[in-house]
Amino acid sequence: MESQTMVNLELLDLVLAYGLVLLAIALARLRRIGQEGQMLWASLRMVFQLFAVGYLLHFVFAVKSPLPVIAILLVMGAFSLQVMGGRIRHKMPHFYQVVGTSLFIGCGGVTFLFCTLVVRYSPWYDPRYLIPLAGMIIGNSMNGASLAAERLAAEMRERKDEVETALCLGASGRQASESAVRNAFRAALVPTVNTMAAMGIVSLPGMMTGQILSGTEPIIAVRYQIAIMCAITGAVSITAYLILLQGYRHYFNKAHQFDVE
Amino acid sequence: MTFVEDNELTVRLELVGVVRRDHEGAEKEILCEISFSARGGEITAVIGPSGGGKSSLVRLINRLAEPSCGRIYLGETDIGSVDPLQLRRAVALVPQKPFMFEGSVLDNLQRPFVYRQQPPPGLDSEEVRRALLLARLDPSMGQRDARSLSLGEQQRVSLARALITRPRVLLLDEPTSALDRRNADALAATLRDICRSERLTVILVTHDLRLAGRVADYCLYLEAGRILEEGSAEQLLARPNSAELRRFLAEPSEQEV
Repeated sequence: MESQTMVNLELLDLVLAYGLVLLAIALARLRRIGQEGQMLWASLRMVFQLFAVGYLLHFVFAVKSPLPVIAILLVMGAFSLQVMGGRIRHKMPHFYQVVGTSLFIGCGGVTFLFCTLVVRYSPWYDPRYLIPLAGMIIGNSMNGASLAAERLAAEMRERKDEVETALCLGASGRQASESAVRNAFRAALVPTVNTMAAMGIVSLPGMMTGQILSGTEPIIAVRYQIAIMCAITGAVSITAYLILLQGYRHYFNKAHQFDVE
Repeated sequence: MTFVEDNELTVRLELVGVVRRDHEGAEKEILCEISFSARGGEITAVIGPSGGGKSSLVRLINRLAEPSCGRIYLGETDIGSVDPLQLRRAVALVPQKPFMFEGSVLDNLQRPFVYRQQPPPGLDSEEVRRALLLARLDPSMGQRDARSLSLGEQQRVSLARALITRPRVLLLDEPTSALDRRNADALAATLRDICRSERLTVILVTHDLRLAGRVADYCLYLEAGRILEEGSAEQLLARPNSAELRRFLAEPSEQEV
């Protein structure tokens, strides 16, 4: 019913919009920045990927079964893990295992609680809710997770002297890495806290604008936005916490010996 | 667990056939077949060029690292069978670069107690005063910001921090590398006194021959992971046998760093 209030975009409209990309490419060519090929390729990828995901969702919405929905979420999670793996140069030991389990527990747990306790729609796997909500939670947690993982690895390398001095004074691995873990956790939370503080003033969040565009009452859209931001904050902190909780251990062996690289 | 031998207050340290490789299965040996014994209550200096395995050697003795082969005994106890956290209370290592934790000198001295979940001694406590005095630091230094101190002072705080929990063995890794000659000489005198008064067994790793000559009872020459020569400090420094040691002693650059 809501979708009726929204203007439908025809293929011709899209072609018109794509003209703006072509304009951008023309400008790039004019200034000879040498990126025209990449711009064209990126824009075509965007079109293709979005249509692919659109038809996939169309299919999943029609099936009305939890399996394809769960499968999509798992693929999203795996893909975000792979993106992080590619982006982070200095990986902590057992990177994929640590980050993978933390993302799974942090995002999975928060998404589940959020959907069943806060939004309370049914059936629980309704892709119309589950996929966008989980997607936002996973996407934000991915950023928090990669900050936590990257920072922990950096802190452990930079603080080698501190860690070894602490060990010499009788500290356990956990005690010796306390400040490294603390700094990594702080770094992981910064973007989420900043986003919350700036929300509504600096940025109108994507989900809210999307809902408003599709005809939702702004107040309802705002409520959704507040709820999802809380869920994101929870998921980011739990995921980062789990990463650090497991992560520092892999820098030490049973004999409390520090082993970096 | 005390590591103290019968009728003695000091503890002997013995290494038997110790081999250290960089990592499991690596070909190159950083230390090969190191065997020696350091008498309790004496200062044993390990001298030799940089990269010869001196630092790796002391790291094995408080189990910051594990030997690939061989055994290390403290008194009659094989340290491989001791919980490393317990061992590090008895065997203190003062690292080459003094690292000061954020906060005051007192905060730094309290660290070992915090790690052991014991109530940390206060500024006026006997422990803190004793540790500061042993390292020849003025008791009023306790409240100073540790990171604002000079390198020489930091080196002393690092020493006091290692001594505050009354270890039996003290491992010193290049303690004078950051000090000028005057401070280095002062530190040498301090070490001598501490070793006597605390009945400490000291392993002193250094390429500072002046320091070794002034404080060491016994001397080992380590090059490329092997002990090439050992004997009393006087004998080793004055009448070297091996060509390697003669060359090392003749190289001025090694002695002045």
